[in-house]
Amino acid sequence: MSNWAAQYNRSRSTHAPAALLQDEEDDDDPMPPAIEQEPEPEPEPETPLEQLTRHWMNERHAPDILPVQDDLLGKLLDHIRRQSDTIQLLRGDPSTSEEEHIRIMLAQTEVERVKFVVRSYVRTRLFKIESYARYIVANEDVQTRITTAERDYASRHAQLIDRHFHNSVLQSLPESQTALDDTPSFMPSMVTEPDTRRAVFAHALRNTVARTPDGKTIDLAKGSLTLIAFAAVAELITRGDVELV
Amino acid sequence: MSLPPSLRQSVTPPELELIACQQLVEIVPLISMEKTAFISGAYGPLRPPHRAKIPIWMAVNLKQKKKCHIIAPVWLTVEYLQQKLTQETTQAHFTQLPFRFAEISRVLLDVASDDLQNPDKLRTLLKDLREARQAKARAGLENLEHSTLGLSNLSAMEINEIRPFFIQAMAVLGQLQPVFNKDRNTV
Repeated sequence: MSNWAAQYNRSRSTHAPAALLQDEEDDDDPMPPAIEQEPEPEPEPETPLEQLTRHWMNERHAPDILPVQDDLLGKLLDHIRRQSDTIQLLRGDPSTSEEEHIRIMLAQTEVERVKFVVRSYVRTRLFKIESYARYIVANEDVQTRITTAERDYASRHAQLIDRHFHNSVLQSLPESQTALDDTPSFMPSMVTEPDTRRAVFAHALRNTVARTPDGKTIDLAKGSLTLIAFAAVAELITRGDVELV
Repeated sequence: MSLPPSLRQSVTPPELELIACQQLVEIVPLISMEKTAFISGAYGPLRPPHRAKIPIWMAVNLKQKKKCHIIAPVWLTVEYLQQKLTQETTQAHFTQLPFRFAEISRVLLDVASDDLQNPDKLRTLLKDLREARQAKARAGLENLEHSTLGLSNLSAMEINEIRPFFIQAMAVLGQLQPVFNKDRNTV
């Protein structure tokens, strides 16, 4: 039982117990008419899990790879490991009561939920890296947004695919046709690039301004929802002013 | 491969439910529990018959084991939804509803229909609301142009429903529009 108290004190010191108070999502809920005159309460700072959920959704909807959040991931993975260790300890202990079993079960459920979000986040990034492996290897700018491990994965993946194509088809073709990075005129290049002109649903968390590829400037009021090209809001997402929904 | 094809285009409704269930809901616990530290924060202590606020997934778990009663959120009542429905059918733009009302109402109606007043009426009202809003979304398709479209007050599930179509429509409209690209790399 003391393990939970120790954990609680430790987690209390690292981040505010936002869960007992209104979390940021509840700001979308309209107040009943009687209290509409009150000023909007200050949103509580996001818990790490809420931040990861937001980044996960951003990553799922964005056509391009977003900057990696490896310290956030690291913190959460540590937390998961600590919770799992505590659970293991309490399960093996024969003196746990009925109430304790419920807490263990709830903690296990939550660990599974958080692991799902982490796994889905990493899988989405890996999928994008696999699709754009050659583009990443050739392009410095994208390499700043991915971890070293992901970069190695991209180059190995690109090499594997190249070797496979060579061994199966390309070696039988004449020399001039064996390249895999042609840029023919009037057609998209052979190296697939992320399509940043794809439209995304952007939810503005603060009043900001977006600039579309056509040169138009659009004001985004806080809380508004806009269908807009990804290229226009890419920087705003990195800054945290806009989230994809 | 990394991401199964069913997940590549859009988010699935069960995933939206997962996110929606992280929000808090009020319950009347039937068991007592000490303050416990979870990954998303510390909840408890649960002292019956005092009310407590816990995440929806936890409340659903306890409710299925008959260890709590869920109290409906402010917006999940017949009067509130009736009012919103009349607003929806009289106004041209979308009324303001909680962002994830579809997921939360589905979960609560499935698990805690005995804790809610008049669940059948709630279901009919929600269905009517959904149909009214869908009709408006379809009408809004006419305003779609190649660069932007503002649609406030849509809920998460509704956005998810229209997402594949709207994104493709915008892409096609963008192709039809002559684009003056001086340099491919400028954004």
